[in-house]
Amino acid sequence: MKFLALLFFIVSMSVFSKDEKVIYEYKKYEKFDLGNLEVKGELIAPGDLTVRERDRKRFSLDLFTRKDFDSIQKRDVDSLR
Amino acid sequence: MIVLLWVFMLGTSFAKPLSHQFEDKKLYYSALNEFFYETYNKPVANSSLERLEKLLFFTGIELLEDYELSLLEKYPTSSIHFILARRYFKKKEYKKSQEHLKNVKAEHRYFPESQLLKGQIFGDLGQFDDESESYFSCQKTAEREEHKASNEKIKRYYRMIHEICLINKARRLFKQGHYKESIDAYDQVPKKSYKWPYVLLEKAWAYYHLGDYNRSLGLLITYKSPLLDTYFFPEAEYLAALNYLKLCLYDDSLTIINQYYQFYRPRFNQLEKFLSVNLKSQDYFYNLMFKHEMESKDVEDFAFKIVTRLKKQTRFSLDFNTIYKINKEIEAIYSSEDQALKRRLIPHLNLVKENIISKINYNAKEDIFNFLETVPFFSSQLFKIQLETLSKKKDLIYTGRTLISDRSRGDYENVKRSRFEYFWKFEGAFWADELGDYSLGLKSNCELNKDHKSESAK
Repeated sequence: MKFLALLFFIVSMSVFSKDEKVIYEYKKYEKFDLGNLEVKGELIAPGDLTVRERDRKRFSLDLFTRKDFDSIQKRDVDSLR
Repeated sequence: MIVLLWVFMLGTSFAKPLSHQFEDKKLYYSALNEFFYETYNKPVANSSLERLEKLLFFTGIELLEDYELSLLEKYPTSSIHFILARRYFKKKEYKKSQEHLKNVKAEHRYFPESQLLKGQIFGDLGQFDDESESYFSCQKTAEREEHKASNEKIKRYYRMIHEICLINKARRLFKQGHYKESIDAYDQVPKKSYKWPYVLLEKAWAYYHLGDYNRSLGLLITYKSPLLDTYFFPEAEYLAALNYLKLCLYDDSLTIINQYYQFYRPRFNQLEKFLSVNLKSQDYFYNLMFKHEMESKDVEDFAFKIVTRLKKQTRFSLDFNTIYKINKEIEAIYSSEDQALKRRLIPHLNLVKENIISKINYNAKEDIFNFLETVPFFSSQLFKIQLETLSKKKDLIYTGRTLISDRSRGDYENVKRSRFEYFWKFEGAFWADELGDYSLGLKSNCELNKDHKSESAK
């Protein structure tokens, strides 16, 4: 009997609760104290800005050098007749 | 009456064929033409082949250049085998060409030239030993024929064959990277040779590969001599600029390039125009060959120089000789033959003559075209040298370095020479016996100053 009464109470509560509006509220102001924040790691200070010296990239052009005279040889035969 | 008729019939049946009659009258060009008419559709006897060889001895083979291959194949004589071998060689059908070359007899007048062709084919096929052997045989037999020849022109022809074979041997050594040996072979070409001015440039390349830039420049300077003013090659200008670049003499290199652009480029453009205007003419360039320089003021200077150069070629002298002999034959026909024969023979001879004139004209056009074809390539290569030179100069400025001397000029210490070479100073004049033996004495400028810093950088 007790069980039935409890069941009736829960069901009736859930039926009535559907009509209620849920309002979420966010904090309007929050303060962070960065000084108190702890970050794990090593603390270093920036030094002078430096650029490592290196040679300029040199592009060499593919200049023509004679390896044979084949075409001239053919012209010589043609020039005979 | 019957007896007379019989005698007449017998006479006509035993009358000599026309080709024989013309040959007897020494009308060889007409005889040759008639010979082909008489034999082209019949089996060819050995005696006919001997006759053909005899006729070709007088006419030369120039007029058979455009005969059909199938017709020529019918006549297996040494001269015809040689013509066929050349024709197949030009078509790059090397096997067929070699087959015909084998059949040119060793004692034949075209044998030395056939050996030259053989050598070229072996060279193209990469068979260097066979190539070398062919050139050796070419030189030996050309010498033999030169000694046998009574006519000065024929002697010159065999000398030319001999020299081309010698030069080809030098070229093969060059191709194999044996530059010193190739220079030794080039040195055997006499200065009087028609080929000698061309050899200078090739030798200059060999010295360049050996790193003797001064000697290379010295050879190229020879082209500035008034004696060689008809010989101008864009490649020579390029090689000079390249030599200066290798010696780190950047300003000299740039001077050559500027000179090329300012002086020669406009002339090349004029030459191109000149060629395109007369491109369709069948005899303009032929006629130009017989004009004196004074008569041809309107003609572009370079064109005239190229045409003068062409007149020294063997093929021009052979073709021109053919025209001369045909004219003589026409004169003989006019003076001693009847009207019927004149009408029959002269139109053909005129046609052959026209063909040879247009061949000479075509060859001249082709040579000018080939010359012009080299211009854009070497212009672009010179532009590359200009970029390279400017880049190297910029590098020096950026790195604050200077070369050991900005313009190191000549010094005897920088002249490399063998114990067979003497040394005289250049006194501003070209002497014929000195041509081709010049060397510059420039010190290489490629060394950096020891402190590595220029004054301005400090």
